[in-house]
Amino acid sequence: MQQQLTNLSDKELISRARKQLDREAESVLIDRYSHLLVAVTIPHLSSQPNLDPNIVFPALLQRLNASLKTQTIYKANEWILHIQKGYLGKPEKNTPFYPSRDGRDLLHIENTVDKAATNIIDRQDLIVRLEQALQRLSADDNALITQFYLENKSFADLTAATGLPREKLRTQLKAAKAKLAKLFMNQGYAS
Amino acid sequence: MLVNKPNNEKVLKIFSAIRCLSRDQLPRYMEGRLTDVERHLVEQHLTDCDLCYDALTALEQEENTERYQDLTNKLQRYVQNSIQPVSHVQKVAQYTRKEKNKEHMLAYFWIIAFIGLGVGSVYVLRGHMRNQPPVRIMASSLPQKDSVREEVATGVPLVTAAENNPGTTTPAPAATPAIQTSAKPATAPVHPDSAALKKAAALKVLHKTAAADCIKKHTLLQKQADSLKKEAADKVTAKAEEKKPEQRPEQKPAAPKEKQKEQAPPPDPPKRETPSTAVNSDEYLYKAAMVYQQQGNLNEAINRYKRIESVSSGKYVEMARYQLAICYRSKGQAGKARRMFKEVIRMDGSMKAAAQQALDGM
Repeated sequence: MQQQLTNLSDKELISRARKQLDREAESVLIDRYSHLLVAVTIPHLSSQPNLDPNIVFPALLQRLNASLKTQTIYKANEWILHIQKGYLGKPEKNTPFYPSRDGRDLLHIENTVDKAATNIIDRQDLIVRLEQALQRLSADDNALITQFYLENKSFADLTAATGLPREKLRTQLKAAKAKLAKLFMNQGYAS
Repeated sequence: MLVNKPNNEKVLKIFSAIRCLSRDQLPRYMEGRLTDVERHLVEQHLTDCDLCYDALTALEQEENTERYQDLTNKLQRYVQNSIQPVSHVQKVAQYTRKEKNKEHMLAYFWIIAFIGLGVGSVYVLRGHMRNQPPVRIMASSLPQKDSVREEVATGVPLVTAAENNPGTTTPAPAATPAIQTSAKPATAPVHPDSAALKKAAALKVLHKTAAADCIKKHTLLQKQADSLKKEAADKVTAKAEEKKPEQRPEQKPAAPKEKQKEQAPPPDPPKRETPSTAVNSDEYLYKAAMVYQQQGNLNEAINRYKRIESVSSGKYVEMARYQLAICYRSKGQAGKARRMFKEVIRMDGSMKAAAQQALDGM
């Protein structure tokens, strides 16, 4: 059972945990992200010595468990990060997790791309529209995206070429991608 | 166009969803031990995923790496220990609940089955009991029968006599004397007689014939009761019609004397001892004939009256003749009726006046 569950997607695991009250699915989901959760929490633990990992992690898991039953989760990684930040930032306040508008746009495009993978006509249409959106992007963003995604250049290559630190490069890439997503979504209205 | 095509396909990569870094990928990426394709995928994901990027930046600081391994293992163990046992416990609880339910259902089933069995057995037993009593009486009719016969004998002994005379059954006449003697406990010793009776009954009367006798006696008793009722009714009507109330009380004492003298047809020895029983038999025959007459079966009535006329004696002969005359008259045989009336007048009995009146009226 455990073996079969590990092959399922996050979405499937979440729906199982929620609808069938399958605690095994929940455990598989948490297990899948546990190392990231630990890695993200370690700086807080080291910076704040009053935090005990024996208390923090069970409390975090409890929060995750509680919110899993009630919240709409599009992306598990965003959800976990939100809960973790919420717990460590304001432990007394339980802020619900809402994906941003941009986040939902991105998710929508990802889903369309995913669906188009098996449909040639859709895929051609999608490619044309993405190209059009890419043309509308500013020259800097266009160049960055083209280099990173289409020319398969790594972070190291790009930092070397541009002289920007990795952090900044990543934010730029992210912003360019968000712009592209917005352009793509608004294409219908513009053209 | 051909050159552009791979690029076109690559455009889709921008928005393809990639899974988060696995536990294995994260250190390998940090150490640069990934292939170009894999690294590129990871970096694509890192641009989107804050969680993975934060984790990466956190782990890139030297002091955190050791703690990371330790805590990750602990957390995984904790998750597996806390959540899986719970689910296992849940499963066990579900299983035990199911088993308990099964047991409960089984218990209910057996309770219902036993109740049903009990009700069924009671029902069957009641049905058996309802059917049983006649069988029991028949089975125990051998000792009980004499009491029935006693009633018959004391009440109307000639019923049995009349039954025995035309009857072809051989054991019955042999049994009746014994019964009649046992019916008189004052005159004869009871115990030997009853013992003899029992012996005789046990030997001679089989179960089937006993049952048949019982039924016969029942019907005879019923008939008797009916005829008694009818007699009462007849008396009322006859008195109203013929206006002879004192006729019977006068003759009843006279009849036994005559009977003792004549006593011709029935070969029963005990009849002498009981003259009143002969009167009763005549009365019975007479009443039976009356019943036929009232039912309109005149021929049968005439036959009966003729038999009474030939067999019995005393007032019943006269009465039978008188009734014969009435029968003939109602049949329209005026000559025969007149002759009968004249005979009644000649007998000079209690019916003389009535006969004279009827003859005058014809």
